[in-house]
Amino acid sequence: MTVPMLSVSSLRAAYGPVQVLFEVNFDVLPGSVTTLIGANGAGKTTIMKSLAGLVSPTAGEIRFEGEYITHTASHDRVNAGLCLIPEGRLVFPGMTVEQNLRLGAIAPAARAGHSEMLAEVFRRFPRLEQRRNQQAGLMSGGEQQMLALGRGLMARPRLILMDEPTLGLAPVMVKQVFETIEELRAAGFTILLAEQNAKVALELADRAYLLENGRVALAGSGAELLDSPEVRRAYLGM
Amino acid sequence: MDTLMSGQLLFAALVSGSLYALVALGLNLVYGTLRLLNIAHGDLVMIGAYTAFWMISLFAIPPIISLVLAAALCALLGWAVYAGLFRRMLAKPELAKRVEANSLILFYGISVILQNLAALAFTSTSRGYQYLDTVITWQGISMTGNRLLSLGVATAVCFGALLFLRFHLFGWGLRAVIQRREAAQVVGVNLNRVQLLTICGGFAVAGVAGVLVSMTEQITPFMGFPFTIVAFVVIIIGGLGNIGAGILAGFCLGLVETYGIALTSPGYRSILIYGLFVGVLLVRPEGIFTKAVRS
Repeated sequence: MTVPMLSVSSLRAAYGPVQVLFEVNFDVLPGSVTTLIGANGAGKTTIMKSLAGLVSPTAGEIRFEGEYITHTASHDRVNAGLCLIPEGRLVFPGMTVEQNLRLGAIAPAARAGHSEMLAEVFRRFPRLEQRRNQQAGLMSGGEQQMLALGRGLMARPRLILMDEPTLGLAPVMVKQVFETIEELRAAGFTILLAEQNAKVALELADRAYLLENGRVALAGSGAELLDSPEVRRAYLGM
Repeated sequence: MDTLMSGQLLFAALVSGSLYALVALGLNLVYGTLRLLNIAHGDLVMIGAYTAFWMISLFAIPPIISLVLAAALCALLGWAVYAGLFRRMLAKPELAKRVEANSLILFYGISVILQNLAALAFTSTSRGYQYLDTVITWQGISMTGNRLLSLGVATAVCFGALLFLRFHLFGWGLRAVIQRREAAQVVGVNLNRVQLLTICGGFAVAGVAGVLVSMTEQITPFMGFPFTIVAFVVIIIGGLGNIGAGILAGFCLGLVETYGIALTSPGYRSILIYGLFVGVLLVRPEGIFTKAVRS
């Protein structure tokens, strides 16, 4: 049994009086792609924000590589090797592509050798190199997604949290995003993916969790969830 | 026409423009990173001015050294305001949402307290002192040493700030927070530290401006408010949170004011300033130097 890289136990979170997460438990194994699927409002983004330190949980624990990080500041989590690619991409619109990428390496642990990492990101996403001096706010959604991903890689994460990376993208870009995720897994990254695009996400997943109303309703391998009648009916339209 | 072309007028415009740019710089930094509307900003200018006055009157310490003292004093005040009031408010999302509107009232309170404390401690008698006030003539332009010093220091601080924002890693983090606070956290910017150091820095710059003002103008407990107004006008003309544009707008306002008065009369000063302000709001409400890039 491998030791999980990330384990979440009894996580609860709320926005003011509205509770969003109730007793969420899941693990992410090193080197795997773990997928969270579920409808809008099921709590996927809240989980991601809790993991990144943007939302503070009301109860429960988050462990990353053996350390409890439940109440660690967000910048310390980035420095420890956990990086969020946020929903809506959140690039810095008034900065160039290259400045966005360099900001990705602002964490002390990532500063040394950020030039090599920049070259690595440009190799992985040649489009970003072509546009390195363009203002990020003027790029298409797909390009901004690439930029957000590249910016995340600059932090040299071991665990990448991707929140809805295909939201609002054209089908051809969606395909490319999933290809990139597969490449990243092959390169040794561990990935936690929150996706509405259930079918593709489950096909890719080593392990998957179905969220409903802030709880884990179903857990299993990606293939198991794909075969589950509940998932097929509610999320795949079959 | 001769006066309009004279270096004398240009010098006057640059002196006041650089001061406007400096006062606005501090306000813009604090608004940009913390979204706090610091109505008490001008009162920090007043504190800087009194620091310079008391230092030279009591201890014969020249304003050039008071620049550092006033900056330190105001930075300390910034730390107190942040640690005492805003850190907790900004940490709670429910409160943080309202902090921008609430900050206006909070700082109004701070402004009233500062003005009245100053009036209580120093009385409302206007004060002044003489420093470097001999006239130097260069290329037919007559200038006093203190105005030259004011222009030099204000310009140096503004450009220093710009260079810092462009080339220092902390400056990058600061710009990231101004553009997108949440994204800055995502990439690993230490938000708390950026906010604390920015409020200290922003307040310190106001203190520096106060020392510069005190060399040429009367010092009273209520001298700050006009600077608050000018600073708001400048950062709205330049674009809120846009540091470089704010500096440019400060110089522009100085030019418009000085040349406008030369063309009309000093009675038109307010009309010129607010006319420019209203004009900019009508034509380009996002600020004249702001590029319309938002995703």
